[in-house]
Amino acid sequence: MAIEVTPIVITIPSHPRHLSIVRAAALLAAEIYGMTTAEAEDIRHAVDEACSNVIKYAYKCDCTRKITVKFQETQTTFQVTIEDAGCKASMDDIKIRELDEIRPGGLGIHFIKKAFDVVAFDKKKRTGNRLLLTRYKNMDRQAQK
Amino acid sequence: MKIDTVANSGYTVVSVAGEIDMYSSPALRDTLLSLVKKKAAVVIVNLKDIKYIDSSGIATFVEALKKMMAYKGRLKIVNVPERVMEIFKFSKLDQVFDIYGSIEDAANS
Repeated sequence: MAIEVTPIVITIPSHPRHLSIVRAAALLAAEIYGMTTAEAEDIRHAVDEACSNVIKYAYKCDCTRKITVKFQETQTTFQVTIEDAGCKASMDDIKIRELDEIRPGGLGIHFIKKAFDVVAFDKKKRTGNRLLLTRYKNMDRQAQK
Repeated sequence: MKIDTVANSGYTVVSVAGEIDMYSSPALRDTLLSLVKKKAAVVIVNLKDIKYIDSSGIATFVEALKKMMAYKGRLKIVNVPERVMEIFKFSKLDQVFDIYGSIEDAANS
């Protein structure tokens, strides 16, 4: 089947109660774009963690803002783009802890990197953030890593 | 998410159903920390009907575990669904939590 060039785009208010909508969309989009159930669940988890980070860090728990999530496939990749209009973030700002270090917090980025091969902020975006998540499709995955 | 707490002789069972995420985990945290405040000796968390858990849910369990260990209380987790167990293993928390197959096993250990 031909690759669909039109992405799936959803916009939610930045309230945590809407995260379940993003999770459902992420799971279904991943399945539609050919991921296995386990891969789709990893993608659901990663997108949820990324949107939670937007609410916590970019919007500082202001629930009145917007988050836009875009799902798209190319010949070789499944891509998710998460956009906000909050405080500027960089990969250096993201809290991360070693998995061996047992304490609350700092796990979200591990789940994001488990599901996606490339995790990066779009530096061309002047205000707010555009997080680009790319997963190579199975046939190309080993070659890309 | 639904939380059901039942006090038994010697232990309290906290059954959680649905999805644990940034929206729902504060309610779970309140429940567990209220038991910590009472210095509950044994808390058994039943995850049988959990469909999803995110890092905020995991952080809630880690926080409760650490606070209970401080007074030698025990936090036991039972009926962990396969997907949640995968997440625990990925986070290396399967080596930290006391995990049992059933409430009975946890209560008798």
